Amino acid sequence: MPAASAPPRRLPVALLAQLAWRNLGRHRRRNAMLLGAIALAVAGVVLLNAMLRGMEGEVRAVVLDNLTGHVKVHAPGYLADPGIERGFDLPADWPAGLPAAATLGWAARLRVPAVLMSERETRGAELVGVDPGREGISFLGRVQVVGEALTGSQDRRLLLGRALAEHLQTEVGRRVVVVTQGADGRALEVGYRIAGVYESDFAGLEKVFVFTGAAALQRALGTTAVTEVSVRLADDAGPRQQTATAEALAAAFGGLDVYVWQELKPQAAAIVAMADFGVFIYFAVVMGALVFGLVNAMATAVMERVREMGMLRAVGMRPGAVVAQVMIECSLVMALGVALGLAVAFAAFVPFADGIDLRAFDLDKSVAQLGMRANFVPVLTAADVVLVGVLSLALGAAASLYPALRAVRIAPLVALSGGRGPLRAPRRKPRGT
Amino acid sequence: MPNVVTCRGLGRTFETDAVPVHALRGVDFDLAEGEWVSLAGPSGSGKSTLLHLIGGLDRPTSGDVAVDGVDLATLSNAALSDLRLRKIGFVFQAYNLVPVLSAVENVEFILQLQGVGRGERRRRAMRSLDALGLADAAGRRPGELSGGQQQRVAIARAIVTEPVLLLADEPTANLDTGTTEELLDVLRDLNQQRGVTILTATHDPTVMGYTTRRVHLRDGGIAP
Repeated sequence: MPAASAPPRRLPVALLAQLAWRNLGRHRRRNAMLLGAIALAVAGVVLLNAMLRGMEGEVRAVVLDNLTGHVKVHAPGYLADPGIERGFDLPADWPAGLPAAATLGWAARLRVPAVLMSERETRGAELVGVDPGREGISFLGRVQVVGEALTGSQDRRLLLGRALAEHLQTEVGRRVVVVTQGADGRALEVGYRIAGVYESDFAGLEKVFVFTGAAALQRALGTTAVTEVSVRLADDAGPRQQTATAEALAAAFGGLDVYVWQELKPQAAAIVAMADFGVFIYFAVVMGALVFGLVNAMATAVMERVREMGMLRAVGMRPGAVVAQVMIECSLVMALGVALGLAVAFAAFVPFADGIDLRAFDLDKSVAQLGMRANFVPVLTAADVVLVGVLSLALGAAASLYPALRAVRIAPLVALSGGRGPLRAPRRKPRGT
Repeated sequence: MPNVVTCRGLGRTFETDAVPVHALRGVDFDLAEGEWVSLAGPSGSGKSTLLHLIGGLDRPTSGDVAVDGVDLATLSNAALSDLRLRKIGFVFQAYNLVPVLSAVENVEFILQLQGVGRGERRRRAMRSLDALGLADAAGRRPGELSGGQQQRVAIARAIVTEPVLLLADEPTANLDTGTTEELLDVLRDLNQQRGVTILTATHDPTVMGYTTRRVHLRDGGIAP
């Protein structure tokens, strides 16, 4: 005769939740310490995430701003040996075919190596012909200018960086001579008046880039070509849109090379990828350590309640309900700790939400080497907060399994024998099983 | 009267590191409906083991137990849990109340496990407490109750489901003489007025004096 199985019984969730809630007050000091540890760990992870996301966003923004954009088109060989001879003409129907939805803007530039000579100094730089109206997608659209900014593509004056101007010992309104190579391959000397001097966040940019009108530079060099087309996508554009844009550009500029920013700036891409990964590493390290404490505290709580658990089993609570009770209790502790931790994290984040001036800590030069500006803005995203919350709760549930299984192994007999009864499983199985 | 409990050839051997311990050896025992039987005997005679086997808290090494006509050997562990929940009430020596629940909640939670609705279970729990003279202490937690009051809450919890059998393991062991007699009066009322069948393991002569039949155990068997 087979063993009679029991019909399914609904978990008494309300009772288990009530017990879990009341048990929180049972060992107040221990639970308070546990909650504090969880809250600190969660707050620490969330704030670290905010710093990492801030660093990631900063590095990406600086790279995208520095005339790179998300996707760029060059003639083959230009990156290895940039010059006017590796230019190309824009297609007649350009920018047809460029996906409009995710595109913030585009700019075609003529960039050539040049030597600038003032009355006192000489220096090598990159002369970049631009249409100023299109440079809202790069740092040029946001620089502070002393003197006048370029007025258009036909403007044949120069915009110098402050660091370069200081090196050349020149200023707004003075003239410099630019030596470069014309489209015909011959050296060319052109005199330019300085319209303005720009200030950027990085002295390196100010030393390297010298701007003039694109059409004016083309005329001076005897060409109709550009050396690059840069496309900037919207801030919320994802990898799919970037790939779609790269494919569209490859189709529009057949035979030319199309690069995404990660290929052009692999070091910055590595920092961004590391930050993405670091979020999980920090979580694993901090919360992983915490889980041991949680498991230990819950296992202790269970073993202190051997008699009670045994009694619950003896009067008819099924093993599944005992497991659920411990899991709900553990999850409740974790949920309260997570809520407290998030509140602490928000409170600590708000004063720094507008940014941290790293000059106050004398760190501006160090972070500049990482491609970051002196005003560091931590970024707290809803996705990261949800991720930390959900992962913590999942970890809490997983951590409760061990004490829950210990609890369910407590034989009901233990209750009747005052905690001294045999713990072993029954020796004889039900008949027919 | 039909039997509430029938045991035939019941044996239970515990394996230890040294030698096997034969706690029960081929016990035949019947408990009729409406009886109050005390299992008496010295420590180690097997009375608690017999109580555990009848309560479905342990399984015999040999022989059979039937409670209310159900052969316990045919039940899975989950079905055995259900049988304990619906047919058997337990009173433990150490009360074993949940310290974070009030008296009425301690009585009520058994009904909650049975799936009884909120209003109904509160009504029944209060009725049980009232029957044991504890209506005024319904909101107090176990730590705020005396030993006798705690044991009466435990009895209220055991009878609230109207079980066919009440098992009590040394129910008066932690009580003073006066409280013991009060509690035994309560059990007698339950047995005589409400017809609750009771099986008590004890070596307290006062308890034995209240019961309708005494069964003496010695060395794992029933003494003649």
